[in-house]
Amino acid sequence: MTAVAYHRPACLDDALALLAADEDARPLAGGQTLVPMLNLDLLAPTAIVSLADLADLRGIAALADGSIRIGAMETHARIAASRIFAAGQALVPRAAGHIASPAIRNFGTIGGACAHGDPVSDWPVALVAADARIEIAGPAGRRGVAAADFFLGFLTTALEPGEIVTAIVVPPVPGRAIHLRYSRIDSDYATVIVAGAADIRDGICRSVRLAVGACGPVPVRLAAVEDLLTGRPLEPALVAAAGRMLAEAIDPLDDVRGSAAYRRRILPGLVARALAGVA
Amino acid sequence: MAEFAVVGSSAPRLDGLEKATGRAVYVDDMTRPGLLHGAVLRSAYAHARIVAIDTAAALALPGVHCVLTGEDFPHRYGAFVQDEVALARDRVRYVGEPVAVLAAETPALARQAAALIAVDYEELPAVMTPEEALAPDAPLVHADFAGYARRVAVPLPPNVCAATTISEGDVDAAFAGCDVVVEGTYRTQAQVHCYLEPCGALAEADAAGKVTIWSSCQSVFRVQATVAEILGLPMARIRAVAAKVGGAFGGKSDVTVQPLAAALALRTRRPVRLVLTRDDDFMMMRTRHPATVWMKTGAMADGRLVARAARLTLDGGAYAEDSSAVLGFALLIARGPYRIEHVRMEGRVAYTNRLRAAGFRGYGNPQVTFAGECQIDEIAARLGRDPLDLRLQNAVRAGDDWVGGQRIEACGLVDCLERLRAALPPAAPGRGIGVACVAHISGILSTSAIVRVLEDGTVTLSTGAVDLGEGADTVLAQICAETLGLPLDRINYAVPDTDGSPYNWSTGGSRVTYMVGRAVTAAAGQARDRLFGHAAEMLECAAGDLELRPGGRVGIAGVPGPEITFRDISARAHWAVGGPIIGSASVMFEGGGFDPKRSAVTGNGIGKLGAFVFGAQAAEVEVDAVTGRIAVSRLWAAHDVGRAINPTAVAGQIAGGVAQGLGYALYEDLRFDGPNPANPTLMDYKVPGATEMPEIIPIIVEHPEPSGPFGAKGIGEPPLVPVAPAIANAVAALHGVRLRTLPLTPERVLAALDEA
Amino acid sequence: MTARLTVNGRPCDLPEQGTATLLDLLRDQLMLTGAKRGCNYGVCGTCSVLIDGMLGRACLTLAADCAGRSVTTVEALDADGSPDPIQRCLVEAGAVQCGFCTPAMVLAARALLDANPRPSRAEIVAAISGNICRCSGYGAIVEAIAAAAHG
Ligand SMILES: Cc1cc2nc3c(=O)[nH]c(=O)nc-3n(C[C@H](O)[C@H](O)[C@H](O)COP(=O)(O)OP(=O)(O)OC[C@H]3O[C@@H](n4cnc5c(N)ncnc54)[C@H](O)[C@@H]3O)c2cc1C
Ligand code: FES
Ligand code: FES
Repeated sequence: MTAVAYHRPACLDDALALLAADEDARPLAGGQTLVPMLNLDLLAPTAIVSLADLADLRGIAALADGSIRIGAMETHARIAASRIFAAGQALVPRAAGHIASPAIRNFGTIGGACAHGDPVSDWPVALVAADARIEIAGPAGRRGVAAADFFLGFLTTALEPGEIVTAIVVPPVPGRAIHLRYSRIDSDYATVIVAGAADIRDGICRSVRLAVGACGPVPVRLAAVEDLLTGRPLEPALVAAAGRMLAEAIDPLDDVRGSAAYRRRILPGLVARALAGVA
Repeated sequence: MAEFAVVGSSAPRLDGLEKATGRAVYVDDMTRPGLLHGAVLRSAYAHARIVAIDTAAALALPGVHCVLTGEDFPHRYGAFVQDEVALARDRVRYVGEPVAVLAAETPALARQAAALIAVDYEELPAVMTPEEALAPDAPLVHADFAGYARRVAVPLPPNVCAATTISEGDVDAAFAGCDVVVEGTYRTQAQVHCYLEPCGALAEADAAGKVTIWSSCQSVFRVQATVAEILGLPMARIRAVAAKVGGAFGGKSDVTVQPLAAALALRTRRPVRLVLTRDDDFMMMRTRHPATVWMKTGAMADGRLVARAARLTLDGGAYAEDSSAVLGFALLIARGPYRIEHVRMEGRVAYTNRLRAAGFRGYGNPQVTFAGECQIDEIAARLGRDPLDLRLQNAVRAGDDWVGGQRIEACGLVDCLERLRAALPPAAPGRGIGVACVAHISGILSTSAIVRVLEDGTVTLSTGAVDLGEGADTVLAQICAETLGLPLDRINYAVPDTDGSPYNWSTGGSRVTYMVGRAVTAAAGQARDRLFGHAAEMLECAAGDLELRPGGRVGIAGVPGPEITFRDISARAHWAVGGPIIGSASVMFEGGGFDPKRSAVTGNGIGKLGAFVFGAQAAEVEVDAVTGRIAVSRLWAAHDVGRAINPTAVAGQIAGGVAQGLGYALYEDLRFDGPNPANPTLMDYKVPGATEMPEIIPIIVEHPEPSGPFGAKGIGEPPLVPVAPAIANAVAALHGVRLRTLPLTPERVLAALDEA
Repeated sequence: MTARLTVNGRPCDLPEQGTATLLDLLRDQLMLTGAKRGCNYGVCGTCSVLIDGMLGRACLTLAADCAGRSVTTVEALDADGSPDPIQRCLVEAGAVQCGFCTPAMVLAARALLDANPRPSRAEIVAAISGNICRCSGYGAIVEAIAAAAHG
């Protein structure tokens, strides 16, 4: 058995240096995805670089413009419990609160989930819906990528080798949060997620954003749908039309969580339910 | 009602605190000096010829002690058909079938070495469903079938390992005279046992070549017998001991990894622990039989049920194991607990290239009861009758005969239905209520018990019955305590060990309380008689004048005065007169076959098996119009247990059975993607969690069984059985749609609603 | 300087293998077998322990990553010879069947009651929602935790 080294750098630069020095080294956040992959022999890194001591990756704080900066090492549980998010942004803590079960939420992190980029997971769709920005540090310096440009496909993200997600920045989101998640059983990964926010007053939709998750390699958000709904009374026919557009746009798989046809079939109803919930 | 002192009280289970504090020892918690660790290599093909196996690279790893392959296991085994080998030889017949096993210094090393074994396969065409297997010219799962030894050697079509028919009356004529006939095909899926503790065994050989096997199993005696058969050793060279068992539900009733661990221990002369990973357990072990059930039921306009016919095809997977018995039992029970005079039940089990199907809580009953109980509601709908009423009208009662002619001695079914009716809430909008009944048996084969009075007057009870978590040990100790007038803490329940325990067939068939309980009552009764024999001499009176007094004392009936203690008596027996006091008893459920005057049977018809047990459940459901998801809000479960020796344990069996029934009804389904299981992980195969549970309202009904210990009979399996049809009937009551395929997934619900 | 973690109040060394899990350390090195290996990939919950007081999965936690942290296993709960009220209540309610899930349920309940001494039924259900029990149907477990909190 070859020994795998474990490093625990004290600062971001050391972490980046360790990752740069060894392309088979793996960053470790909560371990809730990485460790089972190790246990199942699906991964064989040469070294583990723990991000546990990186202060830059911690904290949930409001920025001057009303954005919320969430350190990459913040756990699902801490995000779910945070009161800092405004009404529209609350889709973020709500997404966090729906992940798996308490023990997983206590250790799994938003940064780890983003880096893993699993399209059936809860973060990608929530962050796309929230127009969040993923902050990244790497050998070539720092950059920020919009969530919609970060999640590129099944377990594929815009992260380059050696890069680390440092934070997620959630801008102000108008309206009230939407987060609807359908799964076979409560603690399972989702079959369909509808996340977003809407500002609906007197039956008129002033603004809306809707993203669909777990229904294809990347979250689906359509400007055409949001345009269609904005400025109009939310008549059932209009809502149904929006739901159908999303159902046509998604690209789901047939799998044990539901067939592609089933996901398409239930999506319009979920969209209607989601909008009704914030009307 | 202080009829009894210990029986009827909810004594906490004997090992409860040991388990709750984490001190209970399961196989994976055991160690021995010099322990080696096993790992298994699984087949990657559903059907292939093994051309060659190269173990050199694995053996070359330092720390790897031995690698065994099919060549090391020449003996075939199997309870009904000798079609099975401990490791695949020449051929693999399902993805996941064990191909090689090895022992190494650490678990990680063992796994690493297993990955280095190179197997050269020549892929063969596979049959993945009974339809494929039974098609003309289908590839044969067992090309050598004709050469296998079989217990019931009737001629069988290709790829069929068991076929049976049972008929009574004149079904065709009866259907012709019926006012209402319903007919349909029902499909049920592969449910995985998903006991929380994966299968495991620790084996150690002594210098003389005797192997001791500690394992997670349902019967140490079955382990002993089957390992002896597989290794070609006399049974006297095998000792099987029960470790704590982390759930079994039928999945640990046959051998699991014990033969492999034993062979490794014999070969390496070192103790070897082989505990499956969860992946291995899913891929190698067993499921419930998937079934296709065609059924037809006919009734008269007044509601009288008169005829039922069924044709059952079970998917047995790659090896026969207990399939023949599962089929036989399913056909025996398919009539349902109703007075139906004319029946014809036909069934067969197909071999397929999937993992083995096996006994699983219910043993063929959930499949046929799903069909049968749906049809009762379908008839009720056609007749415009209340489904519960229709059941009451037709329910069997004590004194009736079952198919085959066995008399039903005690029957609380009517009571169960009446109690349900009283408990059910009035109809509420958006909620549907459905009812289903179950009949099952409690019994099977033989068992025995030994009661030893120790020097200080306390007692060791040995029965060989392994407690799988249902609390059998506690209940048996309660029966022993009651018979001897002792408090429960004076009874020591001995760990089942083939070296010391008397024979017990298995923990299964809802049989332990009823069968082993009878043996315990008799053995304790004999010990009591021997205690009385001494006491009569000591008190200088006739044994017939003696009575037991609480706390292990004996006195003269009606005379408050002189008293002696068990301790005094046992001391006398041990040190002065007669020798140690031991009571022992053997019990057999002498079933026998069908009454030829009433039943025509072909194949392996299973007749009298045990005492009949009955129950009825009602489920209250809501259906989400958007997703089609069924939410069960409440479930009432009325079960006749004869007598509840331990009401809390009975309620625990009811709740646990209902939970597994809920999984069967709504979520659980091991699917296949071509030759491969599509969801063989706990991540993808979902069992219900706490959030999914309805409120369960247990209703315990007690109609004492004359032959049972204190009137008791079994409750282990029945609660699982009616859950799925009760839910399907509730959905039908709510929306008028009839779902005939399990599980009742949201997708199937929506499809049915769309059609309606 | 060697980094260490604390298990049930006692300091202990980290394993050499960087990928060794906390569950490996507990079961194989420290012989604390109350944490079970029901799946080794995070779903069943039988390996639950408290890490700095928080419910966590020992199979999903690298032992090395616990340096400086304090781990509590089920063995600590009755270390003084008297079982935790949760343990007693589970036994009395008939919530222990095969027992394979039980030590983890005890810790899930302990974590809940430490944070929320008077939980509602829904909060109890949520707290054990990631812990599978295949035997009991959960109802008795929920009742037992409620009894431990309120009794
Ligand atoms: C039983 C179970 C159920 C689950 N259910 C859900 C669910 O329903 N919904 C859901 O969304 N998720 C679910 N998860 C996944 C869980 O949310 C994980 O916590 C999450 O996906 C990964 O976070 P982590 O912090 O544990 O990452 P880790 O496991 O530590 O890392 C994940 C990957 O990201 C890399 N990585 C980690 N951090 C960074 C970083 N800052 N920068 C760059 N790379 C990094 C690692 O090298 C690794 O490749 C479940 C997990 C389990 C075990
Ligand atoms: S063993 Fe850790 S969750 Fe199953
Ligand atoms: S008691 Fe067996 S898994 Fe919970």
